[in-house]
Amino acid sequence: MSADIKWTKKDLLCLYDLSKEEIIHILDTAQEFKKVSERKVKKVPALRGKTVVNFFVEPSTRTRVSFELAEQRLSADIINMVADSSSLKKGESLLDTVKNIEALQADIIVMRHSCTGAQDFIAKHSKCGIVNAGDGAHSHPTQALLDMFTIREKFGRIEGLNVAIVGDILHSRVARSNMWGLTKLGAKVTLVGPATLVPEEFNELENVRVCHTLEEGLRDADVVNMLRIQHERQNASYFPSTGEYSKYYGLNEGNLKYLKKGAMVMHPGPINRDVEISSAIADGENSVILEQVTNGLAVRMAVLFLIAGAL
Amino acid sequence: METPEKLFGASEMQLAIEKIADLIMAEFGKKADDKKEFVLVGLFKQGVPLAERIAEVLRKKYNYSPEMAKLDISMYRDDFGLRSALPIINETIIPFDMHEANVILVDDVLSTGRTIRAALDALTDYGRPDLIRLAVLVDRNNSEYPIKADYIGFDVECDEDYKIRVEFSENDDVDAISKVVWKR
Repeated sequence: MSADIKWTKKDLLCLYDLSKEEIIHILDTAQEFKKVSERKVKKVPALRGKTVVNFFVEPSTRTRVSFELAEQRLSADIINMVADSSSLKKGESLLDTVKNIEALQADIIVMRHSCTGAQDFIAKHSKCGIVNAGDGAHSHPTQALLDMFTIREKFGRIEGLNVAIVGDILHSRVARSNMWGLTKLGAKVTLVGPATLVPEEFNELENVRVCHTLEEGLRDADVVNMLRIQHERQNASYFPSTGEYSKYYGLNEGNLKYLKKGAMVMHPGPINRDVEISSAIADGENSVILEQVTNGLAVRMAVLFLIAGAL
Repeated sequence: METPEKLFGASEMQLAIEKIADLIMAEFGKKADDKKEFVLVGLFKQGVPLAERIAEVLRKKYNYSPEMAKLDISMYRDDFGLRSALPIINETIIPFDMHEANVILVDDVLSTGRTIRAALDALTDYGRPDLIRLAVLVDRNNSEYPIKADYIGFDVECDEDYKIRVEFSENDDVDAISKVVWKR
């Protein structure tokens, strides 16, 4: 268990803002919440009487469902708002929408938005605790936390591990959040993908390197995190075709030989079978894809618990 | 800052712990033939070493080794968000089925009764015990809930501006019970 650390943050916006100790504290807290979901009674009263609003301006299914279940297991009251049915459609500003949520005495807003920094802006103007469930290509802290939780669970540590993140790094908030979190905890991160999707600037960050072949990227990797190729990018000339992308950057039996024995294969989901990852590997013994989903619930419970306690 | 007033030292604490063990056995041990099994559940933080101390006496004096558990009640508190610091969640370890168990909850101090209320909620989420008893080293006699201890080491009357601090050498440097000014 972590040393006596006092959690005081009312928002979780970006792992960049957290100290190493704070990240470890979230992971330790999540470990106890994971056990709640393994009991017969999968519910604790920690957030009884608190109201959590899931405000998803950008659509999401799995992250929203995971947050929603986490909130239910903590006994919070929940409201779900999506952009399509919200007054944003009718011309209301984002801040006004949030102020209206606040007027309903909501305590925490879990928010996803396609614009980078939307949550930071709202956090500055709201008394509610703000949990970033993804903003633009910037940050998705709970995804990175659940990835780190899963890595730590298997290896018992994060420090000193080599983690390869493969795919569309340019547009990926998952990659950025993982990068901040993993390097803070002492891991080395390798970003792998075509030059059009992996900005060279990331080479300048400490303990981060960029490479453009899977062979080089997978060598020495203890963990490989395969990112989803987003359909909306496929016609935007970042790469010639999905088939070609899959051939050079998809994880399959052909290039599995580059991977260390016992290396862990992750994917934030939803997976495109046989595009970025072959079915055999996604369902194989190295894959922890479904464990990531289970752990996501525990990590989100921990985050909500800590935020609610700091309000 | 006012210095803590020491109330009891190591030898007095040991006697009180033996008294608690005797009281438990007076209830559970008297039917020699069909001795009722029971388990000790220590509440974090100081109920955990206390439960170990009670178990040690039970082993040595009565040759009985109860099953042991540790319970953290942070997720069940009713003062969530009211406290300045969020408690660290310790690892709950219950290595047996709580269903139909005879449970003795162990905590260092019984004060308002709110911790025990939370512990009862937590325990019953793990199963449906046949019976739950409460053992405390110190009873302050100021319970705000209808909760009373069954096995008590010391009865201490104490002004509400003070709190009772129990220290065990396992977690702290010494064995001691003292009265300290409560900084709310």
